[in-house]
Amino acid sequence: MNVRAGWMLVRRTWSSWMQSRSFFFLLAFGWLIGPLIYLFVWSTAAGQGAVDGWTRGQFVAYYLVLINVNQITYSQTYWTVGMMIQMGSFNRLLLYPMAPVFDAIASEIAGKVVYMTFVIPVTVVLALILRPTLSTTVGNIALFVVALGLAWALRFFLGYAQALLSFWFTRTEALLVIQEALVFLLAGQIAPTALLPAPLDQLAVLLPFRYMLGFPVELLMGRLSGAEILTGFALQGGWLLVALGLYRLTWRRGVRHYTAVGG
Amino acid sequence: MGHHIRLIWKFLRASVQQEIAYPVNFVISLVYGLITLAGGVIGIEVLFGQVDDVRGWTFASTLAILGVFMSISALRGLFISPSLDALAGMDGDVWTGRLDYVMLRPVDIQFLASVRQWRPFALIDLVLGLGVLVAAVTQLDATLSAGRIAAFLALLALGMLVMYSLLLAFAGMIFWSPGFLFGWVFDGLFQMARYPVSLYPAGVRLVLTWIVPVGVMTTIPAQALTGDLAPEMAFGSLALAVALFVGATVLFRTGVRRYASASS
Repeated sequence: MNVRAGWMLVRRTWSSWMQSRSFFFLLAFGWLIGPLIYLFVWSTAAGQGAVDGWTRGQFVAYYLVLINVNQITYSQTYWTVGMMIQMGSFNRLLLYPMAPVFDAIASEIAGKVVYMTFVIPVTVVLALILRPTLSTTVGNIALFVVALGLAWALRFFLGYAQALLSFWFTRTEALLVIQEALVFLLAGQIAPTALLPAPLDQLAVLLPFRYMLGFPVELLMGRLSGAEILTGFALQGGWLLVALGLYRLTWRRGVRHYTAVGG
Repeated sequence: MGHHIRLIWKFLRASVQQEIAYPVNFVISLVYGLITLAGGVIGIEVLFGQVDDVRGWTFASTLAILGVFMSISALRGLFISPSLDALAGMDGDVWTGRLDYVMLRPVDIQFLASVRQWRPFALIDLVLGLGVLVAAVTQLDATLSAGRIAAFLALLALGMLVMYSLLLAFAGMIFWSPGFLFGWVFDGLFQMARYPVSLYPAGVRLVLTWIVPVGVMTTIPAQALTGDLAPEMAFGSLALAVALFVGATVLFRTGVRRYASASS
């Protein structure tokens, strides 16, 4: 692993993105609105009492953490990979002595720095105004960090594998749109997954989407029992293996299929 | 007038021809429309599965808001957004300088910029939105009089006018500051219109009513339907719509006059 080259890759994207940071702050603003709506709706619904064991302050805490987790796990790069393959600019990446996925990962790391310089201050201000109730333990924080890393990897590789389908098809971003819509629905954004009605809550536990977003937040808030934590990590790890498998498959088959533009 | 309608018809036909070249997009639009629908309805169902009403809003009246929101979004996606994006979006005519050719045409530039490009598949979303609206109306306790429906339709039209004026103003701003996409901020705030404005904290409600009046687009028409609307709010939204339309038109035309093509 070449650390210096990796750092250079990160720095390159980071400097180019910081140049037009207001553009990226706007994007980050757009991503923040979804969770923010449900923060308001649920905290108004809870009012002075509680909804199914959730108080107003807990909803606020849940969604403020979720905003940050969403920003960390949401990958902008997988949206552009498909376009690069179709337009032929992917050629440049193929000439480097490394797999193109490292370029995407470097942009990911650089991009997160840019986005988080916007999202973290906004969250702090919102926390000062809206007063969340969050009590957590060191153990929960540790579980949160692990689950967050896995959540990022799962969302990234599943998205990247879909983007690589551009080697064969032209409209792969539609799959990504559907993935993001299902994340919205089942990952804990319209409501914490425990509050979803009967068939949906079980579906949310089984499908990969909760493990991209809601699962780490639930861990941090200490809302899961020991058994739920274990099955959660098992399912998250299992889905990550599936995602990595899909990535390897689409990459190996796809790059042989690739003929560049005008081929 | 007849001339303009014929032009719209021609633009529409050209857009349909472009779009049916990609039949897969129909399936994608349909699937995406259904997922959005499910997301909206489930969001409301989950909420009212837990509580009976929030600040006077029930399941049926909140569903009516969603129906209005989806219908307005669909109409926006049908022609307003595609047309204005072709002008002021990324890679749009102003950035590339293609606006030269648009301005050479012997038709009013604002008209041309507003109806030039259509996305016929947005009709799927319109059908879904109207479906939600009908479903909501059948669940409302109140009986619907013809007067109430007429008020609803009139306020819906005013909401559309507010939406169009804001988007036109944002598009017009590109003549001053290319690169900064005001529309994106609006898009985010518009998402908030899928719930009644009274569900938000006081500060946010103020912004959504007076500064970026998305409440006028969904909450007020839905209130007309459920019979909860105070008459002064109806007149307020009429005044607002007219003022915004005039303001946006002036801004857009001033902007067009500043346009000096893309070449240096």
